[in-house]
Parts: sequence; C-alpha cells; structure tokens
Amino acid sequence: MLINLLRSHRWLRVSLSGLSVALLLGGVGLVGYPFFTNAWQGRIQARLDDQLVSPELQQAYKEGKVETGDSLTRIRIPAIDVDVVVVEGITPSALRAGAGHYPDTALPCEGGNVAIAGHRTTYGRPFGNLDQLRTGDTIELITPIGACQYKVSKDPFAIAPDNLDVIAKTTDKMLTLTTCHPKGSAAQRLIVQSTFVQDLKAA
Amino acid sequence: MSMFRRTGAIALSALVVSAFLVIPSPASADTVQTRAESFIATASARGLNIGLLNNNITIGASGIEMNSTPKAKATGGGVLLAPGTVSTVETTAASQALAPPKACLLNLPLLNLLNVQLACGEAKVDSTPGAPQAFGQGSVAAVDIGGQQILALLSPVLDALAPLLDQVVGTVTGALTPILGGLLPGLQSTLGLDPNTGLVSSLVDGLKKATQLASIRLGNSTSQGLSETGKVSSIAIAQGGQIDVLPGLALGGAPLLSIVVGSAKATSVFDRSGGTSTPGFDAAILTIKLGLPILGNITEIPVKLGSPVTLLAGTALESTIALGAGTTTKNPDGSVSSVADGVSIWLLKGISGGIKIELAHAESSIGGQSQLVEQQKVVEPVAQLAKTGSDPWIPMAGFALLLAAFTTRRLVVARPSGNRSPSDN
Repeated sequence: MLINLLRSHRWLRVSLSGLSVALLLGGVGLVGYPFFTNAWQGRIQARLDDQLVSPELQQAYKEGKVETGDSLTRIRIPAIDVDVVVVEGITPSALRAGAGHYPDTALPCEGGNVAIAGHRTTYGRPFGNLDQLRTGDTIELITPIGACQYKVSKDPFAIAPDNLDVIAKTTDKMLTLTTCHPKGSAAQRLIVQSTFVQDLKAA
Repeated sequence: MSMFRRTGAIALSALVVSAFLVIPSPASADTVQTRAESFIATASARGLNIGLLNNNITIGASGIEMNSTPKAKATGGGVLLAPGTVSTVETTAASQALAPPKACLLNLPLLNLLNVQLACGEAKVDSTPGAPQAFGQGSVAAVDIGGQQILALLSPVLDALAPLLDQVVGTVTGALTPILGGLLPGLQSTLGLDPNTGLVSSLVDGLKKATQLASIRLGNSTSQGLSETGKVSSIAIAQGGQIDVLPGLALGGAPLLSIVVGSAKATSVFDRSGGTSTPGFDAAILTIKLGLPILGNITEIPVKLGSPVTLLAGTALESTIALGAGTTTKNPDGSVSSVADGVSIWLLKGISGGIKIELAHAESSIGGQSQLVEQQKVVEPVAQLAKTGSDPWIPMAGFALLLAAFTTRRLVVARPSGNRSPSDN
C-alpha cells in the first residue's frame, strides 16, 4: 500500500529519494569520522614537527610564550610505540593534534607535575594503548631546549573525569598522562603516573 | 554513468561534512612569565696596531665591557706596553661613578697657544642600575694649536675689510654670471647667499667662532657603552690620523676642514623594548670633511673600497686586506657584532700569526633580553580531565543512518505488487 502511494504521488517519491541521499551522506560522514580525524591529525603533526625545531618556537619556549595549539614537546613511549608532538593546551581544537599539555601544570622536564592528555580513539589515538603500560616503562620528553626521561611509577588506573587530584601541583618532578576510558567512551579517565629519572641530551 | 556521478557527489559531500568536524580553530595566547632585563656590551678600538709573528705593538687603544648586573669596565691607552699611558677602571657595585685622572706620557700646555699630549689613556665608568655607562679613550699624540688671541687681533681688521671685499666679490660674480650662465646664480640660490654680501661676511663670522687654529690627533680611539631609555649601544671608533683646521668654526663646533686618514666605526645597538639587536659599521681609508659656513652644513667625502678581500684562503699564505671595509654578524641567540677597518692588512696568517698592520680598527658586540613584566596568567580553569575519547554513538549512528538510507532507497525503487509487468514472470 505504501508502495502504491509512492507510485501515485511523484513528489513523495522525489522527497523520499532526497531523504535517502541525505541519510547516506550523514551515515558515511559518521562512520568515516575516525578515519578522517586520523588523517587530519597526521597533517597537523607534520606541521608541528617542523615547528618544534624552529628557532622562533625555541625563543617562545624560553620566554614561556608558547601559544595554545603550538608545539610544546615531543613524547616518546617505546613500550607502546608512541612518538608524537604534544601541543600546548587541552582545548578541543588543540587536542586535534593528538595530545596536549594541561596549561596550568609544570613545563616538561621542569620541577612539579607535568600533565599531558592524549586521544584514546580518533585523532591518531596516540594514547590508544596507554592501558598496556607497566611500572618501570620509560617515557621521554624532548622539548625545544632539552630532553628528559621519566619512569612509570605504577600501573595505569581509572578515575572519574572530575577527579583533578592527579594533575595537582607537586613538589616532586613527575609526569601524568591522562586519556579516556574505557576505549571508545568518555565515562572515565585512565591515568599513568611516572617519576623523573634524568635529563637527556636532546636528539 | 549516473551512478558514478552520484557516488562521487556523496563522497565529496561526506568529506565536506567531516572537514567541518575536524578543522581546528585559531589558537589563543594564555601565558606570560616574568623576566628581568639582561644585556652585555663590548667595544674595542685601535688607532694603530702592528703585529709581527704574534708580537703586537698597539698604540691608541681603548675598550669597554658593560652588562646589566651592572658591571662597567673601561680601558684607554696611549701605548699598551707602556704602563704610564694606560688607564683602566672597573666597577661592579651599584651606583658608582669612577673617573681616574688621564694617564699621559707627556702633557704639556704652553700658555694658550699650544697643547701637546703624547700617549694618553682615559677611562670612565658609571654603574647606575639600569643605566650603566663606560668610556675609554686612547691616543698616541694630540696637538692643539690655539689662536684665539691672534684671531681676536684680526677680527676688527676683517670686520673693516669685509664690506669692501664683499663688494669686490659681488662685482666678480656679476662679471662671471654671463660667462657661467645659470650655474652661479643656481649655486648662490642653493646656498642661500646674497651674491653681494654673503661670502666674505660669512667667513668672517665663522672665524670669530673658531676656538683654535688647528688640532692634530694620531692613533686616536674611543670605545663607549651607552645606556639610554630605549636602547643600549656599544660604539667603537678609531682613526689613524686626523687634522682639523679651525675647529669650532662650522655649525655644531665642527672644523672648517677635517682630514681623517683611516677611520673605522663599529656600532651594536640593543633595543630594550623589543629585545632585538642591530649591528652597523662605517669605515673609510680617507675622509675629508668641509665645514664651510657658506655651505650651510658639513660636506663629507669618504673614500672606501668595500668588502674585505681574502687571498689564498685555507693555505698558510692566506692574507686578508680590508680598505675602508667592515662586516656585521647576527648570531642565533640574537646577539650581534660588527667590525670595521680603515686599513687592515694581514699577510701570511698561517705562519706564526703572520704580519699584521691595522690603521683604525674598531669592533663592537651586544646581546640581551628585554624585560618581561609579570601579567595575569589567563588560563581557563579545568573543570574535568580532558575528554580524549570519541562518543561511541557516532559510528553506531552512522551505521543506523546508512541502514535507513538503504531502506528508504528500496522503498523508492520498489514496484507495487499489483502492477507487475509481463516480463516479471
């Protein structure tokens, strides 16, 4: 009956045809969203790679003038094959680079708690396998003016998103990584805490 | 074909939709830290330096070092190997000004007619916080020939003769005008002179202002560090020899005629607000300055050849010749330096230092960071830990939309059950 109704009303048929195309567009866009974000993050990282070694950024870093969205440090986690440039800031636009530095926390390799957030899914998902880190794994930060090494001090653990204690200021030199948990959800946050080991010679 | 078109359009549209989702928005500044101003400046100059196999004789030397701590050090020497001709002073204490007496091998004033100084060095420093100053000067010989009494005697005579001479000059220029065409009136107009009265009267007026008959300087060098409101400068100036005729006659106390053999000036300036530094130099083998009052301003005629020339580079016989030349350098850390040579000949560098002859050599350098005033740090308070996982409904919603699109399409293309064509059977 519905089909006969469609047959008898051409406008209805055309409208339904238009609706099907719109639904198809929306569907392709949403299904392809993670792939598009990964591709976009790759492009952003290429730009950040160049920026991280530029004299202008080195000067801005020394003066504490790195702007939100600009390169701040490179993070390397050999145990889970992570090598990505971290930008300053954790705004949604800044985090499209993959990982961002909480602006009110210590600068990489300096005294206090350095906190970095990274995507678990989409945007290159640099912290996709953060749950696989174990105590003793090493993490390196390479800044425009130096480099240093941290060691994971305890296995990853999950907390509520509004628990800000993990990024609070500390007197000890430490590094805290945060990402969403469980994978594909933002219900909780997965935390990895590590302690400063030593300064390294910049690569 | 239409299917390809439709598929292409869908893919393009999907890309556009996704681009809106992922294009980043502009970044914004949020942090500023505090930092005190810091700078360091050096300058040195040599009137004459002769080096033979690493043994140097330097006459007319000066140098300064100055920084923001504050530290100020200055040296001036007539002959560097002769202790009585060198003056050095240094301070690192805040708000201290030191100026020891000038050190001279010979300082001989004879009435007001002649003053002879041989191998003199002078140094002065001031360590006012934020505005340190340093000054060093050295010269091998300075002779001032005074003549104010003579000029005073001549003045009434010249005053009496001036109108007559002006008239003569006016007559001569009048006679020359038809011969020289428009050239002479044009020149007079440019110089702002009355053709009948200007020339001689102007000269007589100038002579009244002259403070000396002549001044001669040999191997003169000056190094200076200057702190001003907007900038800090390091300046080095060296001259092989200078003869000034009738100093004080021209505008601003300049001499009527000045001949400088071998001159070099190197400057480096630090912009205190912008934190940037700029180098500069000026060098000439010979410079003639004309300060005729009738010209209205000082005419300077420099003779220079340009960039230094290096011969047999990379060998033991490498030699560099710089005649009225200089160079500037900008370093990666923002500091700058400049070097200037009136005449510099360095032969056979690779053989125990070779042979070096410098007549007027000056160099300066400066670098620093401007003050950064503390400002309110504008950081959005973090309400919760950063959200770095996508919402799980996105891909599920995508699949649901695709299913709905497929179903809708099936409805559109389906045929009614009671209206089948014969071929369907």
